[in-house]
Amino acid sequence: MSHPTPCYHCGLPVPSGSRFVAPVLGERREFCCPGCQAVAEAIVQGGLESYYRHRSEPSANPETFPQELSDELALYDRPDVQQPFVQHQGDLAETCLLVEGISCAACGWLIEKHLRSLPGVAEARLNLSNHRLQVRWADSQIPLSELLKSLRRVGYAAHPYQADKAAEQLASENRRALRQIGMAGLLWFQVMMATMATWPEFNLDLSHSFHVILRWTALILTTPIVFYCCGQFFRGAWRDLRTRHLTMDVSVSLAIGGAYLAGIWSTLTGQGELYFDAVGMFALFLLAGRYLERRARERTAAATAQLVNLLPGSCLRLDADGQSQRILLSELQLGDQVLVQPGALLPADGRILSGQSSVDESLLTGEYLPLPRGVGDQVTAGTLNVEGPLTVEVQALGDNTRLSAIVRLLERAQSEKPRLAELADRVAHWFLLIVLLVATVIGLVWWQIDSDRAFWVVLSLLVATCPCALSLATPTALTAATGSLHKLGLLLTRGHVLEGLNQIDTVIFDKTGTLTEGRLTLRAIHPLRDLDQDACLALAAALENRSEHPIARAFGRAAQAADQVESHPGLGLEGWVEERRLRIGQPDFVAALHDQPAPAIPGDQGQWLLLGDEQGPLAWLVLDDRLRADAPALIEACREQGWRILLLSGDSSPMVGEIARQLGIEEARGGLTPDAKLEVLQQLRSKGRKVLMLGDGVNDVPVLAAADISVAMGSATDLAKTSADAVLLSNRLDSLVQALPIARRTRRIIIENLGWATAYNGLILPFAAIGWVTPAWAAIGMSVSSLLVVLNALRLSGQPTPGHQASAGTALSPATAD
Amino acid sequence: MAALYFMIPVAVIVVGLAIWLFFWAVDNGQYDDLDSPAHSILFDDDDPKHLAGVDKADDKQPEQDDPRA
Repeated sequence: MSHPTPCYHCGLPVPSGSRFVAPVLGERREFCCPGCQAVAEAIVQGGLESYYRHRSEPSANPETFPQELSDELALYDRPDVQQPFVQHQGDLAETCLLVEGISCAACGWLIEKHLRSLPGVAEARLNLSNHRLQVRWADSQIPLSELLKSLRRVGYAAHPYQADKAAEQLASENRRALRQIGMAGLLWFQVMMATMATWPEFNLDLSHSFHVILRWTALILTTPIVFYCCGQFFRGAWRDLRTRHLTMDVSVSLAIGGAYLAGIWSTLTGQGELYFDAVGMFALFLLAGRYLERRARERTAAATAQLVNLLPGSCLRLDADGQSQRILLSELQLGDQVLVQPGALLPADGRILSGQSSVDESLLTGEYLPLPRGVGDQVTAGTLNVEGPLTVEVQALGDNTRLSAIVRLLERAQSEKPRLAELADRVAHWFLLIVLLVATVIGLVWWQIDSDRAFWVVLSLLVATCPCALSLATPTALTAATGSLHKLGLLLTRGHVLEGLNQIDTVIFDKTGTLTEGRLTLRAIHPLRDLDQDACLALAAALENRSEHPIARAFGRAAQAADQVESHPGLGLEGWVEERRLRIGQPDFVAALHDQPAPAIPGDQGQWLLLGDEQGPLAWLVLDDRLRADAPALIEACREQGWRILLLSGDSSPMVGEIARQLGIEEARGGLTPDAKLEVLQQLRSKGRKVLMLGDGVNDVPVLAAADISVAMGSATDLAKTSADAVLLSNRLDSLVQALPIARRTRRIIIENLGWATAYNGLILPFAAIGWVTPAWAAIGMSVSSLLVVLNALRLSGQPTPGHQASAGTALSPATAD
Repeated sequence: MAALYFMIPVAVIVVGLAIWLFFWAVDNGQYDDLDSPAHSILFDDDDPKHLAGVDKADDKQPEQDDPRA
């Protein structure tokens, strides 16, 4: 079996006989397509070669970006178009662009350096986490369209970024959370200073006037904390009390409110103890815990919210005379008529008025072979028009399209709490009940014994048993676990994954693109009649030219395209090349063309396609899809867990059986439609099994949405990635293998944390009841327990980086290096 | 101890300043991207200005060894 050379730029296999070469870093490198070659040459010419030395992942293939249309780019130079997203400050214009194609940190360096080298660009800053590029430039010297074109040349697609309301609100909430933490922290330090001086444990001989000053200082410094930072606790507590729930918010509000009010009284009357520092500490720790949670959620939300541009940026509108004019998508109205050229995305839902074409709806249905559409048929926004120009009347736009309805459906609430966090809430509920009961009892008891101290004892009880560590227990562990999984290449987008991984007992694998690399390569051609290998290849490539099917990509670029290509799903393609009617695909299908029985498949390795015309078969073409190097390890890990393993594939070739045999999977079924797969899944779930589904989503979207835990490969379609619960970035299957023990450890550590936090609170309860807990001890106890919880959680983030190490100075091979 | 009459208000003012500064930093977007700066310093090696600075520092070494009065 030959191993195809990976493209130096993007890592995809270089088709044999490829002519795309260029010198990079002193050596002659091969590329898979003119796009990659052009990008590499542009990078070298710009003196930015060291990008290839620094990068840790293969770059994005520039041909995966939507087509660059120069008249669409020219639209961006119009002032009315620029108005929403470009600001002017003096001579400079400033804007924010969303950049596609970023694969690692070196891309950020490349983009920034490249832009800064352009004349007229004052500043270029890329945010690696959300892929947003801030550019300041003199637009008299260089227009925006030139900037966008220049970015394209080095291999990145940029679009103007307009934050929608949700993103803006999220950003402002984040800033407010950070401000609250900053204020709580800074003020708490000062309050600690003031109140520690008043503690009898320090034995300072303070005069009465100093006591007064310190108390007032502490009061003044604590007030902003209570009103600016703790509002959310009070609001949450109020809301929970109204629904008869005792949550941590209630407990915290009691402690903070009680300590604050008692402190005011203490300041005014000069007696009793100060618990202001406890207020500050609660505020800081709890806000920090919530901020961690928010950051973790936000990071994954940012990654998934990159639906990228499922809709085109501009379209051709037809006016009354039938003249087409390029306009921005936002200018399109209902009832307008648009002209959609072949190769363009449909801008809106609508009805075809004229034209006959086929439309690739794989984005929605996963069916990769284009479906014929004609006059009167409905078409959907975001699908690809393949064959001929269409005139479409717009019936739904933007948020009302079928596409956004699907996306909204699949966007499950990001704010849904993972089950583990709910566990913490439940513990807090019971705990608080007990504390309140004990507090009432103790209060009554002390009232009998020494009514002066009763109030202070109850207060110290509430403060000391406040579940500060309890509320830190879960978010810290989840954040640490999510972070270390992210480093391994597994991006969790839903909260229930870590918990759910522990309960899985069945796993379903897709074949093409998941267990195999999904890049079919042509291994051999066996001519059967008069035409030689190259001629047969040319004919086959001509037929497969337009298909998006993985099979088609193995044939490389065709010099000529076939006419009237018709696709028969599951069987093959038929078309005309130079007056010859040809078919390629399943042997029976092709043999039907010349009314002879199909020849037997000569070999048993690989996928055999037959090419034939009306006179008889022409050639056998053998395609091979390599098994991923880490697939056996993954199957082994699943077996060790005791999971039932299934392989369900849409491929009806003997490859399915072969792969199953190689990997040792007993249950393997091929030739399944997406509906059939869904049925299998539902049958399993109805038997009570918990199913993990791993797929690349080309035709798995409904199954991914239905599984208990779904993992999409990094190379999956955008829609699949947003509907899955986790994404395997860079397609490393061993990330999943390593994720399993992490999930177990996370659960264990969270339970340890919850246990410890409860134990601490439980232990200190009797001491507080007796009246031995003074503010000093409450503070120390709380800090120590919170610190312990956080440190315990940090044990989850010390994971080794995966097999590949970015080695400087060597040419990079793609992730699944052999 | 009388100094405390002065020090405590000063401390409060300093904290006020610190909070103002922090708020400014957050609102100015200083904390929006905490990941990129970690990477960008790794690429300075090839920056011609950085290399020039390194060379200059190397040139200066022998002169700095001269004892100063």
